This record gives sequence, structure tokens and C-alpha cells, in this order.
Amino acid sequence: MSEERVQELLKELHEGVVEYDEERVVAASKAVLDEGHNVYNAVMNGLASGMEEVGELYDQQEYFVPELLMCADALYAGLDLLKPHIDPADVGTTGAKGQVVIGSVQGDVHDIGKNIIKMMFEVAGFTVYDLGRDVPLEKFVEEQLKTDSEIVAMSAMMTTTMMGMKKVVEMIKEKNPNVKIMLGGAPVTGDIASLFGADGYAESAGNAVQEAVRMVAQLRKLQNQ
Amino acid sequence: MTPKQRVQKFFRREPIDQMPLFSGMGTVTIQAIEKMQVRFAQVHTDAELMGRSAMESAKLWDLDGVVVPYDMCTPAEALGRGVTLYTDVEGILYPTVPTKWANLDEASLPADFSGIFSQARMPVVDGALKYCLGYEGGRYAVGGWVLGPFTLAGQVIELDVLLKGMAKDKERVSAFLGRMTDLVIAMAQHYQSLGVDYITIREMGSGTDLLSPRMWKNLIKPNLERVFQAISIPSVNHICGSTDLIVEMMADCGATAVSVDQKNNMAQSRQKLGNDAILLGNFDPYKTLVQMEPGQVEAVIKACVEGGVDAVWPGCDLWPDVKAENMRAYVAAVRKFGGAPTPAVGRL
Repeated sequence: MSEERVQELLKELHEGVVEYDEERVVAASKAVLDEGHNVYNAVMNGLASGMEEVGELYDQQEYFVPELLMCADALYAGLDLLKPHIDPADVGTTGAKGQVVIGSVQGDVHDIGKNIIKMMFEVAGFTVYDLGRDVPLEKFVEEQLKTDSEIVAMSAMMTTTMMGMKKVVEMIKEKNPNVKIMLGGAPVTGDIASLFGADGYAESAGNAVQEAVRMVAQLRKLQNQ
Repeated sequence: MTPKQRVQKFFRREPIDQMPLFSGMGTVTIQAIEKMQVRFAQVHTDAELMGRSAMESAKLWDLDGVVVPYDMCTPAEALGRGVTLYTDVEGILYPTVPTKWANLDEASLPADFSGIFSQARMPVVDGALKYCLGYEGGRYAVGGWVLGPFTLAGQVIELDVLLKGMAKDKERVSAFLGRMTDLVIAMAQHYQSLGVDYITIREMGSGTDLLSPRMWKNLIKPNLERVFQAISIPSVNHICGSTDLIVEMMADCGATAVSVDQKNNMAQSRQKLGNDAILLGNFDPYKTLVQMEPGQVEAVIKACVEGGVDAVWPGCDLWPDVKAENMRAYVAAVRKFGGAPTPAVGRL
């Protein structure tokens, strides 16, 4: 098992994600499994690193949301194959072991940004409890308590639904002040996130990728140290 | 000069006494709804309540025009996609479409759209428009509005399918958007036949936060051109979100005016489009009318006028739960700074 071959497969996974080539990602993922390479390494330094470049391309306005979605599909094509074979010991030493509750708030049926963030949490090794969209506000609180998740991530695409997030932040922080709360969506700004008492925010699907990429990039650095 | 005359002359670029105070998006506020002793959730299903809530808001704040309906679900609902009205939820939530077609194969559209005006809440909207048009002898300007073809498509079919399809399944998505364009035209012409003074086409999901300028040019612009060609009364091309990269193409679609939100660099847009273009915008209604202190509002409105708008428009629907003091400050600021001629419209 040469280092050269490992690098070759990581490059295939990376480029397959960036060029939203699902077949290429699937072929490389199968090769990783067949040839017995480290699966967690393939996820983090192949798939996730590819998505990191996608985030940069979005930032540079070379990619837009359609491309992000297609890249996400390519990433999932690989992740679906690889994830069941990740050695828990790898995740245990370098990756995240957290749980996150995620959903679009009541009154909002948009979920593109939410789904991209969900994907990045999954890549990073989190257990994700996806409540879907148009989620009644109390449901976030119930699910956080039930799962004892460390993070609650909420999305609202419109100003008209954003106010619901404030109520959820209040309800959750009242019961458990240590829960980290992430807000996302077009109307969400840093000011609003801090006014609502949240711990982080991303204003669009692209920014969501950037935020999540930063999180995963930190994990990759740890892994590579 | 009545409010209606002011708005009509404005769109004809004729000199007017002062900047008209109106919008192409909802301007209903909670103060008017409370005065009527109803809840926000009730006004979406009753023509008189919808019309009255619009007119009460106009009277309360001295607006020149009104727009109904307040939610964007009516055509999707008429096509059988249902509606969630949130009647049992406290506070303000706009109706949403609960079930969208999962893919293009599932989408089922009628051969022609003339039958949809008797479906679901479409008659409620007609009734509300007629109420507003007849209010005080037709003294106020009344605007109709329709989602743009792409945004309307996103109301009936899953948006991610549509977005990915625009790159991967271009031919079929393009054909579907063509049918949505037929529907937008049918609705715009229907509202035109009821006698509204202007029509706003809100292609709000198509800014460059989402789509590349190239995709906008190829898949959005041709459909908007077809829509505006089919409208014979004043029309407004409104897009919220990032529009700096597409504002020239927006102006080239054939609408009477272009409306953008606070993300647009208005001074640059004015420079790009010249002084003949009617430009509308571009303050953040939630931040300005809900969050800010009343004393901060005047500077926001002044900046819009100095940026080169012909009428100060909010970038989106007003969030109904505005602060009364902020609304008063907004109206006062438009009156204060809107007395002078604007680039495209002179003063008496």
C-alpha cells in the first residue's frame, strides 16, 4: 500500500467532489475500501478537502448554489459508501464525537442551507438529528433534551420566519445554557445572531459551507498533526 | 393629486408633487390588524379582511398604495399543492406550501391556466383587490404582484431539484420554466383586467446569492422578458438579495421599473442604468422598522434617496410587527427628502 497510491485516491476523491463527478467519487471510494486504505483519512482529506475547495470557489463567485448542490451530491455518493467502514478509533482520536439537532424553523420550507450544513456535520463525524423543515419551535427543545445534543442548528430563509429562532434560543438556553446554537439563513446577520443569543451564524448555503468547512478543516489539521 | 394619481404619474415619469409612498410588496402592519380586532392568520382567507387590512394600513400610515395578497402561496395552492396557514400558532407566520412535487416527472400542470382563478384562495385575492380598488372611490393606488417564473417554480417543485436541473437537466427545466412563465403571464393579465395600477413581478429567488449571472442570463431573463412583454400597465422587476452583477440585465427585461433590496449598491446601479431608469429601493424593512431606534430611521431613508432611487421602497414585505414610531419616522423621512426631483421623475 504505497503512499503514492493513497495520494492518488485522495486526489480522485477531492477532484471528484470539486467537479461534481459522482461516478469518479464512487470509483475512488470503492478503491479505498477494496485496497484497504484508511477510510477516515479518505473522508477527511479526500471528500472534505474537496468541499473545502468548493467553499473557496463559491466565495470567489466561480461556483453558485447549483454547483454547491451537485458537489454535495458527489460528496454524499462517497460518504454513503465510506462512512459505514470508518474505524471508530480514528474518529475517537482526531474527530468530533458530538451530536447536533438541525432543522428549518416553523413557517420556513426552505432547507438547502440546512442540508448542506447537515452534510458537513456528518462528514465531521457528528451524529445528526435532522428534524426537517417547517419544524414547530418546541420540537427543537424536545429533541435537544431527548438526545442531549451539544449543538442545535436552525435555519430560516426569510425574515418572516427568523423571529421563531429567537424563541428557540431562549427556551434552550433556559434549560441548558451550555448548548451551542448555530443560526443560518439569508436574513441572519452577526448582529441578529448575537441579539438572539446564538453562538454562531451563516447567512447563506455558501456561507454555511464556509463555516462548516472551517470546522472540518480544524479537524483535518488535528488529524494531520 | 390623489395617491392613485401620484403613483400613476410616477410610472409615466410625469412631474408629481412629492415622492409616492408605496411598495410592490406587502405593507400591512399589526397596528391595522389589531384595530380590526382580528389575527394575522385570519386575513389570508377572507377577501374583505385582506382588503381592509391593506387599506387600514394605508390610512394609518398615509401610504399612497397597497398590495395584496400578503403570501406567495396562492398559485401553488390553486395547482393543488395545499397551504399551511398556521392558524393555531401564536404570533406572525406567513402561509407556506406544504407539499411540493419531488421531481419534474411528478409535476402536473393544466393545459391552460384560465381555470385556476376559481381554485383555492384565488377568488379571495380577486375579492381583496376589488375591495381595495373600490375603497373611497378608488382613491388609492393598488398593486398586483406575481412571483417570477423561477421563484414560482420553486413553490411547486423542490428547489434543489430545480437548481441542480438547471445545470444537469437543462432542457426539461427550461421547458418547465416556460410553463411557469405562461402561468405568471396568465395571472398578471388577470390582475391587469381587474384594474390594478401596476404589477410587480417578484423573481426573488434568482439573485446571485443563488444563481450565476450566466445562468440568470440564459434561464431567467428570457422568461422575464416574455412576462413584461405581456403586461400593458406599469410593471416592476423586483429581485431581492445580491443584484449588483445582474442589475443591467434586470433593466433590460422590459419592465417600467427595477426594484432591488439593501444588498444592492444603489449609487452604482444608478450610474450603470442612467437617469431614465425608474429605480426603486432599497432599505432593509426588518432592520429599519423593527430593530432600529426611531431616531436612526431618517438616515436610512435619506441614504436611499441620495443613492438615487425614484421612490423609496422596502427591499421586501414589511414585517407586520413594526414599531409605530419607526413607521412614522419612515413616512416623515420620505416626505422630507422626497420633495425634490429624482433622476427619472420630476416635480411639479
